[in-house]
Amino acid sequence: MKNIIFFFLLLSATANAQENKPYEMMVNGVKVIVVPSGNEIVQIDMVIKGGVQNYTADKAGIEKLAMTALTECGTMKRSKNDFKNALDEVDAKMYAYTGRDAAHVQLNCIKGDFETAWPLYAEALTAPKFDAKEFARIKEEALNALREEESNPDAALRKMAMQTAFKGLDYAKSPNGTVETIKALTPAATKAYLQSTLTRSRIFIVVVGDIAKEDLQKKMTAFTANLPQGKPFLLKRTAYTPKAHSFVAQKKDVATNYIMGFSGAPDPTSKDYYPATLASGMFYDKAFLEVRTNNGLSYAPAAYISGGLTPFSTMYVTTKEPDKYIAVARNMVDNLKKNGFPADDVKNTKNTYANYQYYNNETNQSLAGMVASAELNQGAWRKAFTLKEDLAPITPADVNRVFNKYISNFTWVYQGDTSKVNQKLFIQKETPPLPAKDTKAF
Amino acid sequence: MKKMILLLAAFGAVSSWAQPRLPKDYYWQKLDNGLEVVVIENHKVPLATIEIAVRNGAYTEGPEYSGLSHLFEHMFFKANKDYPDQEKFLKRTQELGAIWNGTTGDERVNYYFTFDKDSLEAGLNFMNAAIRYPIYREEDMQKERPVVDGEFQRAESDPGFLLYYEMGKRVWGDLFTRKNAIGDHDIINSATPAKMMVIKDKYYLPNNSILVICGDVVPQQAFALAKKIYGDWKPSEWDPHIKYPIPEFQPIAKTDYFIKESSIAKNPQIMMAWQGPDTRNDSAATIAADVFSKVLSLNSSKWQQALRDKGLATAADVSYQTNKYVGPIGIFVTPIPGKLKECYTEVMNQVKHWGDADYFSDAELAKAKAGLKREQIRRNEKPSSLASQLTYNWTSTSLDYMTDYFSAMDKVTRADIQRYISKYITGKPYVAGMIINKEMNDQYKPGDYFKN
Repeated sequence: MKNIIFFFLLLSATANAQENKPYEMMVNGVKVIVVPSGNEIVQIDMVIKGGVQNYTADKAGIEKLAMTALTECGTMKRSKNDFKNALDEVDAKMYAYTGRDAAHVQLNCIKGDFETAWPLYAEALTAPKFDAKEFARIKEEALNALREEESNPDAALRKMAMQTAFKGLDYAKSPNGTVETIKALTPAATKAYLQSTLTRSRIFIVVVGDIAKEDLQKKMTAFTANLPQGKPFLLKRTAYTPKAHSFVAQKKDVATNYIMGFSGAPDPTSKDYYPATLASGMFYDKAFLEVRTNNGLSYAPAAYISGGLTPFSTMYVTTKEPDKYIAVARNMVDNLKKNGFPADDVKNTKNTYANYQYYNNETNQSLAGMVASAELNQGAWRKAFTLKEDLAPITPADVNRVFNKYISNFTWVYQGDTSKVNQKLFIQKETPPLPAKDTKAF
Repeated sequence: MKKMILLLAAFGAVSSWAQPRLPKDYYWQKLDNGLEVVVIENHKVPLATIEIAVRNGAYTEGPEYSGLSHLFEHMFFKANKDYPDQEKFLKRTQELGAIWNGTTGDERVNYYFTFDKDSLEAGLNFMNAAIRYPIYREEDMQKERPVVDGEFQRAESDPGFLLYYEMGKRVWGDLFTRKNAIGDHDIINSATPAKMMVIKDKYYLPNNSILVICGDVVPQQAFALAKKIYGDWKPSEWDPHIKYPIPEFQPIAKTDYFIKESSIAKNPQIMMAWQGPDTRNDSAATIAADVFSKVLSLNSSKWQQALRDKGLATAADVSYQTNKYVGPIGIFVTPIPGKLKECYTEVMNQVKHWGDADYFSDAELAKAKAGLKREQIRRNEKPSSLASQLTYNWTSTSLDYMTDYFSAMDKVTRADIQRYISKYITGKPYVAGMIINKEMNDQYKPGDYFKN
């Protein structure tokens, strides 16, 4: 008898085997990407493609409210409180993030709680109620969040930069909306919006965790069967290339000055993308060295690429000496364009990125984010695991060519003491001379 | 089993030290110079993380050193005998492919590097040069002072920090510098190499530090490297915390309210704080505090129902910070501006009832404990973060406290939580602060009711 039970257990384990390598499956036309993790956590990330492409400017904020309503406005089976209490029962976390390229609805739970948490997640997505009283509450919360965004100096600066650089383009729309657009939203219109975008044609799902393949397939099949097919959807990709330097300043009573500049960047699907990624890492290191170490101008100089559907490069700083900063920054760019990045730096940065790849693999949430980003932006989720290989053939010449090609004009925005900044230095064609040593400012 | 025997043999040389209790796959040694070394074996990814933590930070700072533990932490990354300027230092981090940083808190300063597992020895040597043989030049300090002050100014650009900072002054009184790691602008901007050396000589000692090596490492090899590289680090003949004792915080004398106007606060924020327990005097209450804070985070709690569910606030958080020297208990609320008075009134009403026998249910108590355990599973997910979690406990609790935490938490009863509330909150003086912009201050007039 004991042997028979053992045999059945073995059979069951074989039929419902746990894969140990990442794989994908199509379920009702929806791509489900699965990454076994070998740990006690399960992370789900359902991605609704499109983001700001899905609504007009006068409806900005609608996707955010729709996503918030999933967990905050009840379901057809449970009140909001019953739903949230059930999640709390197993300390499961259900988050929604609304970005410019996509909305993400995420679940994070302990593996042993997945059988409890998954039905709640599926219920919120397939049978949301949009209770009017709760909707009124989350609207007030969304308005408060807009005020918080304005209170946070980095968030406010980024919002200003996005609206300035991408004026007239989709990226100028803020996923958080505006006071006017949020106030105008109704439960019915927001629910209708959700129904039009939460469709099999627009989504893919990332699962990071050790769930047996057959179990997962069964759950995903039942879940996606409850979603409408929707219209075919094609993501739009837009290039961003500022035609000239520009500068916009806003007076703000903050303790230092906040500066952000956008320039071009390659599309994540292009051959220039990986050289640009390396250039961005080295450019960050160079900014740290020149702006912080050698000139003591800032705690937080930064440079990075946003590799989304409208890719762009960013330079960022907070400083008491904006004129000195821009002289140092522009001379640094000129120098790199003229002399290029050293071969040694290219080699070292490849190693650092390889370590970052492992570092980001340490948590299921981070890993799911990398997989979702690769699928959304590059159309190839396996790219999340091949950074080391993708960077290996890149030469210093590749990096220098790409840096010269994309880093050109910058759209600058500034918040702080407007009397401290000479905007000419940001927009003039000629690079300003480096300040003499030991001068505090121009 | 074979592995266990090998480990026991390797650790036999240090058997004269009392071993702390540790979780599975954590190993401890104390070198002859007093440096504690912990190795955490975790093979999830092929990386190694090394961290050194020092019992230094705000709590060691009188007014004349306010913010200098933090400046010292920055100077760690500047120059040393092997890498005599920051350009060479940074170049070495790039060669190692290192992910690195340092932090300064109230009771700990820590430095950490993550790199590929094969760079462990190189990384330990790199850390050794920086921590034992730093070089402080006036010209380097001239450049780093505005960097550190710039970090301060960034914080001061955030209304939440402005409120927190003002709260701190009032909660800690004359000893505010002992809880204010970011420091004082004037002290930062006038710091000298001589002051850096004072900090180094007082606190940067093997008998005041811990080295943690974690990740894809072999414990025996890691311990051997630690001994080889750090074994000749000269200790002091005294315990710095006995020679330079931390003064005791005085209780808040009387309840204190303030309203701070700020044009950058686009919505009002409220904070309240009490002086809470600490791990020297009442470690049981520190655990009860964590459980109670978790109870209040539950959607079903009376606290969340009264404030969030009723639409009075978009955030209503209650926290306790575990410290060795008086941990603060804090409330942080973001009210809906038009409901400011109603929100504040409800906060006070709830606090008044926190100590009631029926304030939370048995089910909520059980749910909170289970939730804390799940949070721990999540915290343990990232191997490179394990070192920092351990060193926080090493400085502010103890390794035994860390290891025994959940068995102690299981034993927390409703009576323990009521004792915590009664001893530290109900009827005790507190500080309450609000930050608000002028227009809202004029419109909602919180000064009429937000007062003692």
